[in-house]
Amino acid sequence: MLLQTQLPQWTALGPALILAITALVLFVIDSVDPDSTDSALLAGVSVVGTLAALGVAAWFLAAGTGQVGTGGEITLFRDALVVDGMSLFFTAIFTSVAAMVFVASYDYLKDRPDQAEFYSLVLLATTGMALLASSNSLATAFISLELTSLPSYALVAYLKRNRGSVEAGLKYFLIGALSSSVFVFGISLVYAVTGSLLFSDVASALGDLDQSFRGVAGIGVLMIAGGFAFKTASVPFHFWAPEAYEGAPAPVSAFLSSASKAAGFAVAFRVFVEAFPIATAVDLGIDWVLAFGILAVVTMTLGNFAAATQENVKRMLAYSSIGHAGYVLIGLAALSAGAATNGDVLGASMAHLLVYGFMNTGAFLFVALVEHWGVGRTFEDYNGLAERAPMACAAMTVFMFSLAGLPPFGGFFSKYFLFASAIGAGFWWLAAFGALNSALSLFYYSRVVKAMWIEESDGSFELTSRPIGLYAAIMVAAVGTLVLLPGFGPVIETAQTVAAALFG
Amino acid sequence: MNPWIAIGALAVVGVGIPLGMMAASAILRPSVPEQGKSAIYESGEIPTGTARIQFNIQYYMVALLFVVFDIETVLIFPWTVIYRSALEQGVSLGAVLAPMLVFIGILVVGLVWAWRNGAVKWVKSPRASRRKTERQS
Repeated sequence: MLLQTQLPQWTALGPALILAITALVLFVIDSVDPDSTDSALLAGVSVVGTLAALGVAAWFLAAGTGQVGTGGEITLFRDALVVDGMSLFFTAIFTSVAAMVFVASYDYLKDRPDQAEFYSLVLLATTGMALLASSNSLATAFISLELTSLPSYALVAYLKRNRGSVEAGLKYFLIGALSSSVFVFGISLVYAVTGSLLFSDVASALGDLDQSFRGVAGIGVLMIAGGFAFKTASVPFHFWAPEAYEGAPAPVSAFLSSASKAAGFAVAFRVFVEAFPIATAVDLGIDWVLAFGILAVVTMTLGNFAAATQENVKRMLAYSSIGHAGYVLIGLAALSAGAATNGDVLGASMAHLLVYGFMNTGAFLFVALVEHWGVGRTFEDYNGLAERAPMACAAMTVFMFSLAGLPPFGGFFSKYFLFASAIGAGFWWLAAFGALNSALSLFYYSRVVKAMWIEESDGSFELTSRPIGLYAAIMVAAVGTLVLLPGFGPVIETAQTVAAALFG
Repeated sequence: MNPWIAIGALAVVGVGIPLGMMAASAILRPSVPEQGKSAIYESGEIPTGTARIQFNIQYYMVALLFVVFDIETVLIFPWTVIYRSALEQGVSLGAVLAPMLVFIGILVVGLVWAWRNGAVKWVKSPRASRRKTERQS
């Protein structure tokens, strides 16, 4: 009973509270001096707050707060929120991504007005994500999903004099509003047939549901899945992703494609495993496992094939992030009722999201660095970049090969465990599609590497500055990607333990 | 008698009176078409230009701030209703007061931020002031 006896229950929400307080502190700083462009102060406060939240989450995770060993999950506010290993694991992902994005934004936003707003919006979105991973009721899930989405719309349109940014923001907002309404309609249908919003009550009410209501329940589950597909940029709600990532400032793209996607998966895992248990759902004829299997294959294939045809690096990364959503969906697709392998599959998905958080954030931050230098956006513009900036290009090479899943990097193990656990659970066809797609992805990832290292530069660009913040963030991401290779053992162990607790 | 018949009769009368008045005046009045009659009426001002212009965002900001206070009221009302009885039943003052103070505190931070960043400062539309000087000269 470590921690649960030492600290009051509400402190289990510590990471989310720290993030929210940091956002408010930034508002106060901006109120005192609205015209300030003191990037060091604003970025510093944000990084300190985020790292504090990360530290608390990691400490809780190490101490076993909310895990089986210390008395099980901690529920708060009449079970509306729950703190367990999974929510802490995901909070650690969100806060690490946010910290890297803040460090990079120090340079990216330099001398821009409205900097405090940027940092507080990212912090509020991160708060929403932390709450999303902790929600135990469809009501809190919806509210925290909105808390995550609304700042994201504003962040995508942050460069308000840039047509691309504003257009991307509007598209993102329109599709987001549509999918939010689909999601909330799904919640209302599930509430109509079960009479509860709490996941556990929904599950037990579905267990003795009148067969005549199963159509309504099925449509509700389908619509809720649609809401999550939007947040995770999976087919069929993926159309916003390339537009939004390309138009948004690159640090925001990094944040959305890594943290926001992980948040969508966090809540999807909990809702589908806890509220719609597989055995009950299959009895009702709502076979969401099969639905996610099809979605996973379609998402990864579409994402990778579309990425292979891109000329713009940022757009290629956007489609590759759709492809990775497909890989992670295997975590929901390779489950079967009561199987002992369920925890392994879901845990492998979570571990992949952690590694992905580092390598994908790093890749987008490299694009931010290139945008900062004013070098163009296509593959050709990257020609010969390695001669001018060998360190950054070496880091980008690490990200690219890690995203492709080549051996000496973190991405290799996470993909390997994901596919191996799918085979172990008897879903070899998912692993086969995943492996085929990974092979294809090597083609377009290596195009970036080839452009940077092998192609001759036309000598038209001049790298004028060495932005410290962007460099530091990219290096942290690269070191994270590399360290996660030898350090993958504890990560996958933690992930699979906390995932198994979800099925218990 | 079914009470809905009375309501239906009222609806018929309610629709019938205005329609009847319009029909009666249309039959009785002389028809004199004139350009001034078909023009847009806006408090006697002569309309200038179209309605498809960029106009001041100020009202939008005020409406956003209104939402803040609106939600605040919605949540404070039930709280004041249970406040006294909760204290009488032995809930500590801190447990009753603190959540509301935190909630209002967060809203105050938001309001102060909006105020300091000029959300309630009346911005002059450059287009309108330019037009005004043109008219005076």
